Amino acid sequence: MIARMAKIEIIGPNELLMAVLAQLRELGVFQIEQDITCFVGAGEGEAEKVRSALLDEKALAEKIFYEDLRGRIDELFACLPKAEIRASYLDPAGLLDSIIATVQRHGVTCREWCRKKETLQKELVELSGYAVILGAVEPVLCTLSPKSGIDFIGVTIRDPAALEEVMRLLTTLTQGKFEILTVKAADGTLIGLITLEKELAEKVRKTLGDQRVPELTFPETFAHLAFPEKIRYLRTRMDEVTAELDAIDGELTRFTQRWGAIYARVRSWLDERLGIYRNMAYLHQTGMCFFIHGWTPEAEVARLDEAVTAKFRGEVVVEKKQVLEQDLDLVPVALRNPPYFRPFELFARLLPLPRYASLDPTPFIAVCFPLFFGMILGDAGYGVILLGLALVLGRVFRRRDTVRDVARILLICSCYTILFGIFYGEFFGEAGARLLGWEEALIVERREAIVPMLFFALSVGLAHILLGLVLGFVTALKRKTGREALYKLATIVVILCLLALFLSYQEIFPRLLAKPLTLMLLFLIPVLFFAGGVLAPLELLKTIGNIVSYARIMAIGLASVLLARVANRFAGMTGNVALGLLLAVLFHAINIVLGVFSPTIHALRLHYVEFYSKFMAPGGRKFEPLHKDESNMNGNRRM
Amino acid sequence: MEKVYMALAAALAVGLSAVATAWAQSKIGAAGAGTLAEKPELSATIIILVAIPETMVILGFVVAITILTL
Repeated sequence: MIARMAKIEIIGPNELLMAVLAQLRELGVFQIEQDITCFVGAGEGEAEKVRSALLDEKALAEKIFYEDLRGRIDELFACLPKAEIRASYLDPAGLLDSIIATVQRHGVTCREWCRKKETLQKELVELSGYAVILGAVEPVLCTLSPKSGIDFIGVTIRDPAALEEVMRLLTTLTQGKFEILTVKAADGTLIGLITLEKELAEKVRKTLGDQRVPELTFPETFAHLAFPEKIRYLRTRMDEVTAELDAIDGELTRFTQRWGAIYARVRSWLDERLGIYRNMAYLHQTGMCFFIHGWTPEAEVARLDEAVTAKFRGEVVVEKKQVLEQDLDLVPVALRNPPYFRPFELFARLLPLPRYASLDPTPFIAVCFPLFFGMILGDAGYGVILLGLALVLGRVFRRRDTVRDVARILLICSCYTILFGIFYGEFFGEAGARLLGWEEALIVERREAIVPMLFFALSVGLAHILLGLVLGFVTALKRKTGREALYKLATIVVILCLLALFLSYQEIFPRLLAKPLTLMLLFLIPVLFFAGGVLAPLELLKTIGNIVSYARIMAIGLASVLLARVANRFAGMTGNVALGLLLAVLFHAINIVLGVFSPTIHALRLHYVEFYSKFMAPGGRKFEPLHKDESNMNGNRRM
Repeated sequence: MEKVYMALAAALAVGLSAVATAWAQSKIGAAGAGTLAEKPELSATIIILVAIPETMVILGFVVAITILTL
């Protein structure tokens, strides 16, 4: 349901403006209205007397100071690792001078740690690259004595196709007396180590240089060392760098644990203060007093009034104003639903919010979505698995609101799936049901009763669409758009007439009814044109198409039950219990995954496209009251 | 012979509408994936857009059942 909102004006002396704003943030039930046209009365010259609130010199200086401090804390946090930090209950208001001095000192220290860490990480990456190459040739080098008359040349071959060309060149230069070992570097280039006689080394180096095959160069620190020493140096240096990095990480973690909570609390406090300054732009004042215009839920007006009166001892007045028809598009929308419906607000939030003077679709989707889901999947075995999954999800992610809502929706849907599974006599298909001793379906066996299921799905569609049209009629009456209301009413009557006509031709209703119904339809067509315009008959056809679209409930359900049957048949065909069981589990797992996605998407689509289009008036503004940031006060959190 | 024609007609009703749906979904899906990369908040709209052409195959399915059973 859409919460009823009250139009509120708060008036008080200019010197109390900041205190009132802080109080409103504390209460968290008031949204400031930027557009004051609906608040400023029609009195002559009244609009000219009221001007936007401006910051005085002191407030402006404070704002600049807070922004600078916020920037410094952000810079500090950029250097710190992500870690769980405790909650801090520090009140930074009286400690700002100490905090600014400390943050400057800590900023220098942390930046130095970060710079050093970055340099060491760069060096480690560079050394790791050389370690890959030298590590690959180490076994060869170990078998050679220093006096063996053998030399090594490292080369970088950027194009792997050029390797053959290099080998041909080496064969010519050394008469085949060489060996080449290649290693692929991280960037994809080939690093080659050529082993050859010492006296040929210079000549080969020169020729490779002429042919633009670059020789592998090592950093100056160990370029002068022989290959075996290079390897030893690399290992030692890498160990040293890793140890230094660990030490810096340790320092940063210790720093975060000690100071992170304090700085996070200060940042949160600064955000609150800066938020108040930002809101100043939407406030108005005269020479002596300020005006704050906005909205609050009707149920919170008394609490807001009491809190403001108590705090400011009657110096600030909270006045409730009448919401006029022209204000309706400005009123923000807050959804307030009972606990059972609340998780389904997730689906309502995926689309633009409904307008204030329209209907919240959440209760309808909360009732119909699980019903459609259950009707489509309709297998008690799958339902039990989904029920387990929903319970696990709800328990593991109980602190994450969205996942918790998804788990609750899944829980409700799984109950409906079990219920319809019993109605259809399905437990992992019909084979599982037979194992449980369900010889017959309780109501209908859907793999056999295709046509009855089709009519059932269309009947559900008809009821759902008619409900949508009735809601559309009610919304149109609420918004006082008589023509639209007449159009919705005429559409309802036309659809009912068409249904009765069909039933009378099927001889379910008396045949005698056919003539009066046809006459009534002929009478209603001009009404449709009058109320809905030239495209009204097309819209009517679209509505009939919408009803037929509900046939998907039966079609997708049939596909699901046949897939379960295939799973059981395949398992049975193997002739081996273990293999059959494995195959059955695999196929049913695939079917469950499909069975969750497909009904969800189609049930949602039936709501969004077919149902919502009959009554939803999108374009509502979300209710976003001023509020305190509670994230730093609710125990530990990740930074 | 009449049964063969009926079966063929039913197969065409489902098959052609399925091809049409697949073609439409391939175009909408590709465009939708591109849109989601830039505006993830439009995911609900994209789901609806991708699911809209499925009405064609559902209608084809209903027609096929009507041919075969009624």
